[in-house]
Amino acid sequence: MPYLVSFHLGWLIGSLLLGFCMGWISVVQRGNGTSKVTARWLGALAAALVAASFAHVVPGRFGYWLDLGLVMFACYLVGCTIGAWLRDRVVSRSQPAA
Amino acid sequence: MQKLFRWASKWWPGLIPLAVMWGFAAWNNTLPVEADLSARSSAALKETVLDKTRIAVDGRDVSLAADAFSEEGRRDAVMAVELVPGVRLVDDRTRLVPEATPFVWNAERDVVRVTLSGSAPLPSMKARLTEAARKEVNGTEVADQMGLARGAPPRFEAAAMLLLDQIGKLKDGKITITDTKVNLSGMARDLGGREAIAAALKNLPEGFSVAANDVKAPPYIFQAYKDPVAATVTLTGYVPDNSVHAAIATSASRKFFTEKVVDNLKASVGAPGSFNTAVVAALGALSRLSTGTLVVSDREVKLSGDALYEGAANDIRAGLGKDFPKNWQYKPEITVKPAAGPVDGTVCQQLFSELLNKGKIRFATKRADIDPDSAGILDHLIETALRCPTTNIEVAGHTDADGEDSFNQALSEKRAQAVIDYLVKAGLPATRFTPVGYGATQPLAGNDTDEGKAQNRRIEFLVR
Repeated sequence: MPYLVSFHLGWLIGSLLLGFCMGWISVVQRGNGTSKVTARWLGALAAALVAASFAHVVPGRFGYWLDLGLVMFACYLVGCTIGAWLRDRVVSRSQPAA
Repeated sequence: MQKLFRWASKWWPGLIPLAVMWGFAAWNNTLPVEADLSARSSAALKETVLDKTRIAVDGRDVSLAADAFSEEGRRDAVMAVELVPGVRLVDDRTRLVPEATPFVWNAERDVVRVTLSGSAPLPSMKARLTEAARKEVNGTEVADQMGLARGAPPRFEAAAMLLLDQIGKLKDGKITITDTKVNLSGMARDLGGREAIAAALKNLPEGFSVAANDVKAPPYIFQAYKDPVAATVTLTGYVPDNSVHAAIATSASRKFFTEKVVDNLKASVGAPGSFNTAVVAALGALSRLSTGTLVVSDREVKLSGDALYEGAANDIRAGLGKDFPKNWQYKPEITVKPAAGPVDGTVCQQLFSELLNKGKIRFATKRADIDPDSAGILDHLIETALRCPTTNIEVAGHTDADGEDSFNQALSEKRAQAVIDYLVKAGLPATRFTPVGYGATQPLAGNDTDEGKAQNRRIEFLVR
């Protein structure tokens, strides 16, 4: 893991920023997100991929790509969370004034 | 938490650019990651001892194929690659190098090169052995045809190194280690080389033993060449020690009275028995030739050249064989020098005087027995006498002043007669010679010094 992070640091920061932006937007975005069922399926898929990665069942380059994808995805999620949380704080601070 | 789920349900559109980034990242980094892991794995294996190492990286999975020299070495190698940061899986395709039974190692020397073959236990040892061989046979090509195998006996390297030291002492031959048995064959480079090898083999490491040592010594050679044009006798080859060397040099200078003795002899061990006796006898025969070559090789004596007259040739061919010790072979190839033209009495006298000025007919002390060393000068005197067949010659004996006059008188007469007997035996008519004894009455020098006495003891030939 540390090797993956250090070798792909640029790409991971990119994913983090992308997530940050997406989180920032998501707080004020109107409309419905994914349905609960879809979200569950997506969650299950993510869990399955993580499990496959840890079990080393995917061989060779595909295994490497899977690991890389999951690390980027994790960074994306962290970015989203930070972005959404900060935006939420900004929004909730400005609301009473308005 | 409720909020987080609500926000999260709207995060999915970002997955599309994320997937694109993922694609680019994978596209860009796959080969660099593989190259990096390959380099790190190779570096990690630097400390381990492996042969035929091949590393293939697929993604972050490393496939390691190699020949290891022990089970432990094999485990360590796989472990070393597993511990490389970034490596996900290691496909262990290592195997142990085959075990050789029996474990055989050879070092063979011929005219042009030294060939190392058989098995070596480790690559580094293989390199060290090749290097040691190169150092030992400085300049000669060393061909490394050794393979790698397990199963070397303990202390193999020490044994092989010791044997490589011996390869320098061989002219040609083969040294083999079969498990702990050592076999040697071939020919030593120098005299004494065989003995040196045998001595060195005593230091073989514990556990090793010599099964067969068939190293032969090179022939023990002594040569003498008599060159009448340069008036030299050149001695080359070997003598057993300094005392024999001195004895041979003294004997040569007495026998070759007209030639200068050039002594290029070297002392060396390995001489056959009775070497001194045989060489002195052979030099005696050579001194009777006008030109000739003597080669003593081990126990074989070859003498070739021209005798001064037919009788001498027969004598040398037949008689000298008896002078050699048992087990020695004598191979004479004697021809007769063409007879020189006849001359008159005055020239004959001159030739006699010249010969007797250069050399002397020697006798045993206080006796009338001719010393065998004088065969050469007697042959020359006979050759000269044959050139003036019509002359009569007075053979005069002289002694020094030591002892009683009557004894000296009798001794000088007997010595003169002994010389005539020798000439007659060689085929000259007895009627041509008259023996005369002068005792000590006609000294050439003072009788008070050894030198003077030696000058006074003499035989003179006078043409009448």
